[in-house]
Amino acid sequence: MTKSKVSRVLLVFVALALVAAACGGDSEPVDAEGFTFGMILVGPQNDHGWSQAHYEAGQYVAELTGATMLVQDKVNPADLPEKTVDQVAADLIAEGAQLVFATSDDMRDGVLLAAEQNPDIPMIWSSGDSAWEDGKAFAELDNLGNVMGKMEFGKMIAGCAAGLTTQTGSIGYVGPLVNDETQRLVNSAFLGARYCWEEYRGETSPLEFTVTWIGFWFNIPGFTLDPTQVANEFLDSGADVLISGIDTTEALVEAGKRASEGEAVWAVPYDFEGACAEAPDICLGTPYFNWGPAYLEIVNSVVNDDFKAEWQWNGPDWDNITDNTKTAVGWLSGDGLSSGASSDLDDFISGLADGDINLFTGPLSYQDGSVYLEDGEEATEFQIWYTEQLLEGITGESAGE
Amino acid sequence: MGFELREIHKHFGSVRANNGVNLSVASGELHGLLGENGAGKSTLMKVLSGFHQKTSGEILVDGESIDLRSPADAIEHGIGMLHQDPLVFLPFTVLDNFLIGSPGPERLNRRAAARELATLADRFGFSFDPDTPTRRLTVGERQQLEILRLLWLGARVLILDEPTTGISAPQRLKLFATLKELAAEGMSVVFVSHKLEEVEEICERVTIIRAGTVVGERDLPCPAAELVELMFGGEVEIGERPVVGLGPPRLTVSDLTVRDRMLSVEGFNLEVAEGEVIGFAGLEGSGQRIVLDALSGLRSANGGTITVNGRDLTKVGYRGYLDGGVQFLPAGRLEEGLVAGLTLTEHFVLSSRSGAFLIDWEGALAETVEGIAEYSVKGTPDSTAESLSGGNQQRLLLAMLQDNLEVLLMEHPTRGLDIESAAWVWEQLLRRREDGTAIVFASADLDELLEYSDRILVFFAGGVLAEVDARTSSVDELGHLIGGKVTS
Amino acid sequence: MNFADLWKRSRIGIIAVALALVVGILLLLVAGANPFEALGVIIDGSLGSSIRIGDTLMVWAPLVLAAAGLLITFAAGLWNIGVEGQITFGAIAASLVAREVSGPTWLIVTLALLAGLFGGAFWALLAGLLRTYGKVNEIFGGLGLHFVATALAVYLVLGPWKRAGVASTSGTEPFPRESWLPTVGSTRLSWLAIVVAVASVFGVFYLLRGTRFGLRLKAVGKNMRSAFLLGIPTGPYMLAAFALGGGLAGLAGAIQATGFHHKLVPSISGGYGFLGILVAMLAGYAARWIAPIAFVFAMLAVGSTLLPLKLGLDSSVGGVLQGVLVLFTVLAQGWQSRRRNRADEAALGPPEPPVIPGEVG
Repeated sequence: MTKSKVSRVLLVFVALALVAAACGGDSEPVDAEGFTFGMILVGPQNDHGWSQAHYEAGQYVAELTGATMLVQDKVNPADLPEKTVDQVAADLIAEGAQLVFATSDDMRDGVLLAAEQNPDIPMIWSSGDSAWEDGKAFAELDNLGNVMGKMEFGKMIAGCAAGLTTQTGSIGYVGPLVNDETQRLVNSAFLGARYCWEEYRGETSPLEFTVTWIGFWFNIPGFTLDPTQVANEFLDSGADVLISGIDTTEALVEAGKRASEGEAVWAVPYDFEGACAEAPDICLGTPYFNWGPAYLEIVNSVVNDDFKAEWQWNGPDWDNITDNTKTAVGWLSGDGLSSGASSDLDDFISGLADGDINLFTGPLSYQDGSVYLEDGEEATEFQIWYTEQLLEGITGESAGE
Repeated sequence: MGFELREIHKHFGSVRANNGVNLSVASGELHGLLGENGAGKSTLMKVLSGFHQKTSGEILVDGESIDLRSPADAIEHGIGMLHQDPLVFLPFTVLDNFLIGSPGPERLNRRAAARELATLADRFGFSFDPDTPTRRLTVGERQQLEILRLLWLGARVLILDEPTTGISAPQRLKLFATLKELAAEGMSVVFVSHKLEEVEEICERVTIIRAGTVVGERDLPCPAAELVELMFGGEVEIGERPVVGLGPPRLTVSDLTVRDRMLSVEGFNLEVAEGEVIGFAGLEGSGQRIVLDALSGLRSANGGTITVNGRDLTKVGYRGYLDGGVQFLPAGRLEEGLVAGLTLTEHFVLSSRSGAFLIDWEGALAETVEGIAEYSVKGTPDSTAESLSGGNQQRLLLAMLQDNLEVLLMEHPTRGLDIESAAWVWEQLLRRREDGTAIVFASADLDELLEYSDRILVFFAGGVLAEVDARTSSVDELGHLIGGKVTS
Repeated sequence: MNFADLWKRSRIGIIAVALALVVGILLLLVAGANPFEALGVIIDGSLGSSIRIGDTLMVWAPLVLAAAGLLITFAAGLWNIGVEGQITFGAIAASLVAREVSGPTWLIVTLALLAGLFGGAFWALLAGLLRTYGKVNEIFGGLGLHFVATALAVYLVLGPWKRAGVASTSGTEPFPRESWLPTVGSTRLSWLAIVVAVASVFGVFYLLRGTRFGLRLKAVGKNMRSAFLLGIPTGPYMLAAFALGGGLAGLAGAIQATGFHHKLVPSISGGYGFLGILVAMLAGYAARWIAPIAFVFAMLAVGSTLLPLKLGLDSSVGGVLQGVLVLFTVLAQGWQSRRRNRADEAALGPPEPPVIPGEVG
């Protein structure tokens, strides 16, 4: 994506934000002039992915409320070996931060320590579960909350788009590392793909759905598998739609190269709203996180002095899944989606919206044959959050115990 | 093509390697440049051949002043230099080396070059297989190749820096014949050497350099004593061989087989008595070195036995030999012996057999000062090994030898040394011999072999071609034997 | 030594630092920052409070250990590029102790540091054995083993030592508090880490200067053939250098694990091994310069993390400044050694006659 495109996306973003401010969203932005919050990002703030989504959410909040954002990016042991998350939090607080966002799953230990050391400073650990009383890792800290988006919906839609498009009946998923969250997302994409393959296209042959884990969120030469190579191996072995679960866009880029050589292949990137830009013609769409509304609400609560350490798992705004003033998870269709598929996809989305379609309904089995959901059983949030294995029907490795 | 050097100064920092040198060589002249080690000969020639840039002065070729910034410049002006160690890329083939440095288009015409190489080689009676890796050539052959290359590049002035170092007697004769032929064709040849006899043998005129300046110029022939006096500022006497009675056998080698990748020596037998000196003669690489390696434990024997004072050392390994009083000084002083970068004191500590963990630096310093004095090493305890001249490096190595050695093995003990240092080295060696040490040495210097050995073993192609009595043999006889001809 | 001499001897270093400063200032100006303000931020960020001094020293300690270990292998003429892997393996060994052993802090910590020491030594010995017996250049062997050690750390973090429920590259579960290195006051500074680092500098200094072992090691490093001919068993000496250097690197890893991250993370080495190579080179391979040079690097590393916060600079500016400093110092050294070579040439007069090795054919 070129710089001018980035700024265009930003402009749209800001414009939307101003409209939202005028019309009023769920939470009225408070006047927070003089309020400072800190944002700890795991990657670069312009990574076109996970970290940029948080960074832009912070900008969105600052724009609406007049608060000041302090950003420390690339906070991970490889890029910043000399500081841990708790040290960075201390730096931010010393600089005046009255609220700290730690925005990666990886920051668990540091943010717990920081919250313990600074009991008066509210903190948010995004994508974590430490404030979920019924979760497996509850930590009793009054000043540490969690925010997460229900990306499983985004991934179901992504899977559906893939299932509607594939000609070979074979879909490849370029996965990051194996954990509960990533298995959850692979399962969601698989369920969406299978549903749309069978229901809308009436296919009876089983859909091939394969995942290859590269080992990390992005390519580290010599340490992870090379996602470029993984993508090409998928395409060589007959898969014609790639779904990316990693932070970077190799799957889309490689599919784009193949397509320009005349092959009929497509891809679905991840994380960032503008991700399709690398190969728009064969991009089926992007599921993305939209942290702005949740972060705005949290800033409001801190300014109004009614912050509560809650675990939030926010779903899409079903009225308009691309309304960035409200939705926590979005889907933006790409140019690669045919008009027929597009209308089926809209149908699928509205099915999800009104609850007619609940793909996390039994019978579903794990890969090892054990029962995940009994016939007719609908999964609880607990069952979805803590996904122990990939589902039966997916080829690929599950987390071993 | 003649050339002239006027008032050449070459200073390195505060050191004046050349201090106002004048030298003039006419076309077709074979000119000698004589001087002891460190006199400034090599520096001067490197200035002339573009390796060094002069500090001041003027270089004229055919009366025209020229400016040389690199060896390529020099060769363009027709000046080529043959270095002591011919600048050959060993892994490359003969033809590749021939082509290196040739000007012109990037695309090399290999076939034409091969033809020209063959023609040139024919003219001087050399023979080369263009596809042989140069690694397989002897030093003498590398030299020949380098001369042809320089001629091919258009050299009209040929500088040879100590060209007879490390080549065999027949090769030397051939070299001299070639140089005479070239001079006859109008080439100016500068022959740099510290060996009087050689200069006397082929040069018409000689310039003598001492301490960076010209101290004299003579037409040859001219009395040797006069030249020696000019070189050293005084005459040097060469001692006579002392008569030493030989004792019981020290070193006994029976039926030794030893191999390396290229060569195999089989069925080698030798008995060296207490106080005896054995010389190994032969072309470079005829088997002398691998036998010395085997006798010192550096290379394990593939068969046979080696005993020292009746003790079988065949299988004990290098350090076993050291413990058994056998020590070897290879030719490469800085490569196989001294450690560049370490000081004299550190060398003395390394050579001591003490096993104490901590070093007593004060004691070591005292020892070093004593050693420096005893062996007249020109250096301080803090001098590094590489800062010493070749002669002083050899003195240091001798000073580091164990006392009371049973067997001392040496390779080219005086190579590159001036007469004074060489004489001194042999004085030390002969003193050890009087103490009963058996000495075995390899040398390319036939005079040295004849003068100091009791017996000489002539190696040829991995075997001992002949054993001669040094007292009754001659340079002529040895030269023939080394070339593989048995006279009877 | 009078002032003029001092200037003469150190002028190249001074010029290098001055040039680095000038270029650094230009870079900061281009990035839109006030250089003096930036310098102020770096100094304040690394030395501004006892906590920050502690943070800086906790970067300094592993860096010094890695560099000190590298001096030993450099002395032996070995490019121990595998130092990163040795740090990592030392950290893994220390983590094993910290996770599995229970008992009083002094016991666990002692065992963890020893485990780091031996773990690093073991990993370095593998590279050494490959070098001495397998004829595998230590650069390639070391790099390979570095990747193996990192892969092992990743495997442990995502596999056998993964957190309950969630496998994440953020590392293992934090160690029990008893196995954390004890700290001073409210800082993160571990006095034990400092003691170990300082001891390593003195130890290496005396080893290389005052002992027969050190001198022989230098001989092996400068000329293995001559060293062998002098009767030094070169193979075992090289292995010993690997073991000692790797041991110190392993200690650095143990400190990273038990004193800094308090858990095993995949990139536990923090890049201090590679940075240590630069420190050793900038120090001219002299033990006495390691501590101050490493301190400057630690200050830059810790202090520059505040540049984005205070001045809104890109977070890579700190790394760029470090790079500039390294580049100019290395350039200055290259220049100096060129000059020295010329001077040596002068002192020697013409070069010595060549040595024609007695090789056949």
